[in-house]
Amino acid sequence: MTGTVLTFPYRPLSTDAGVKAAERVLATPFDQRLAKARSLHLEDPETLLALCGILRDRVTSSPSAIRDEAEFLYRFIESPKRPIGLFDERDYFLGETALIAGAACRYLSDREESWVWFERAEAGFRHTMNAVGELSRLAYQRLAERLEERQIDVVLELVPSLIESFQKMGMPEDVLKCRFLAGLALFERDDPAGAVRVFNEICHEAEELGSERLLAEAYVNLIHAHGMLGEAAPAIEASRRAIPLLQQLDNRVSLGKVHWGLATLLREEGQLSAAVDAYRKAQEDFEALGMRADVAALNLVVADLLLEQGQDREALHEISEALPVIAELKMAPEGMAALSLVRESVRRQEVNRQALRELHGYFQELQA
Amino acid sequence: MEKPSSRRPDEVESVFSRALTVIHSALVSYYRLTDEEARGAEEDLFIWFQRLARRGGAGQMPVKLLRISLLSAACQYGRSFQLWKLGGEQSPDSNLNDILAREPDDVATDIDRRFEEERS
Repeated sequence: MTGTVLTFPYRPLSTDAGVKAAERVLATPFDQRLAKARSLHLEDPETLLALCGILRDRVTSSPSAIRDEAEFLYRFIESPKRPIGLFDERDYFLGETALIAGAACRYLSDREESWVWFERAEAGFRHTMNAVGELSRLAYQRLAERLEERQIDVVLELVPSLIESFQKMGMPEDVLKCRFLAGLALFERDDPAGAVRVFNEICHEAEELGSERLLAEAYVNLIHAHGMLGEAAPAIEASRRAIPLLQQLDNRVSLGKVHWGLATLLREEGQLSAAVDAYRKAQEDFEALGMRADVAALNLVVADLLLEQGQDREALHEISEALPVIAELKMAPEGMAALSLVRESVRRQEVNRQALRELHGYFQELQA
Repeated sequence: MEKPSSRRPDEVESVFSRALTVIHSALVSYYRLTDEEARGAEEDLFIWFQRLARRGGAGQMPVKLLRISLLSAACQYGRSFQLWKLGGEQSPDSNLNDILAREPDDVATDIDRRFEEERS
């Protein structure tokens, strides 16, 4: 029989000192961090814990920067193999930083990278004391990714089991997050009325739970659902409730989605120019966040609107802007089929609107 | 509105304090650590446990699951420490050998069951 005793290499920082150290790390350029690792207390579990909390909170504010930060931390912890904290802490931090990086990649529609990061997260979490809880959080991220890849049947099959796991562990916020996935699947099934019902229930439960983050995101989905139904009053009411919360949380991803939802409403109401302006606003938001897939998707939506207004040349320009990004993203087969038709129609300078709608519909439903 | 995932430090301390007697007993009686060694282990476990409760998924974890994680860590610590002391040799104490042969998680689950029975 053999065994190893893991000990603290030096006295760990206090919680407050860990938070301050984390802020110092984030203020230090990547290329200076390794040289300053000791003075930055980069190996201290309190620093890493605070960093993980900050990165989790900020992933919807700047996914691209958070992906880079999480990747830096993962690489730092992973190699050379450093003794971090006690017991399972090194494995936990490897899992957590990989999970954050994967979630950030998901926001950025970098799907292949997301999956690789989720594999890394699993490799870390497998060795933690609370492996079931951590692996369940990972399972949620994987299902969210599958939803974005339009694997709706898989999502609907697996969500109930994940909800049950979170219920058994007494994790109500995560239960509610899973219900989001079920609600979003209703958009995909072209059932915005069903989505309204689910997200109203989620709002109620998020309020009871005291989760502003989930409440705000549920309102965003209500904006989209009411917008798709052309129901102006409830869509505007939901946006009135969502925007202050999202601003307070600095959730810029969802603020972009609010503009998208309001644009959908304007379009349904026949206010086409105002809709284009609102789509442009959402595009600006996504552009600033590095969410290229969403920018491209909105190019297609705007193109469709421009065609409706007889502005064919401008529409072709929009489509031409979007196609290289969409092709690079390697979408699901039905998305690729629509993409081929749109490409062909652009070549012929005569847009196949059905193909265009299928292609932007592919994105739009997933953003709701 | 408060973040639902935040757990108060005094709640974490209370979970630890209530489990401390059981932890000490497991380290000394099962894993044959000295009192001094056990106290050192408990200090480390307390620091680790405070951080465990602030992890991504642990903020909303029920107290029972937190306690089982704590007991598992205690058993893992006791086992690793004793194996290190034995330097790869068998102990003349057959009870100790039996406990070292078991998975720390199993031992922790047994301890938690007894902990709950004593409290009920």
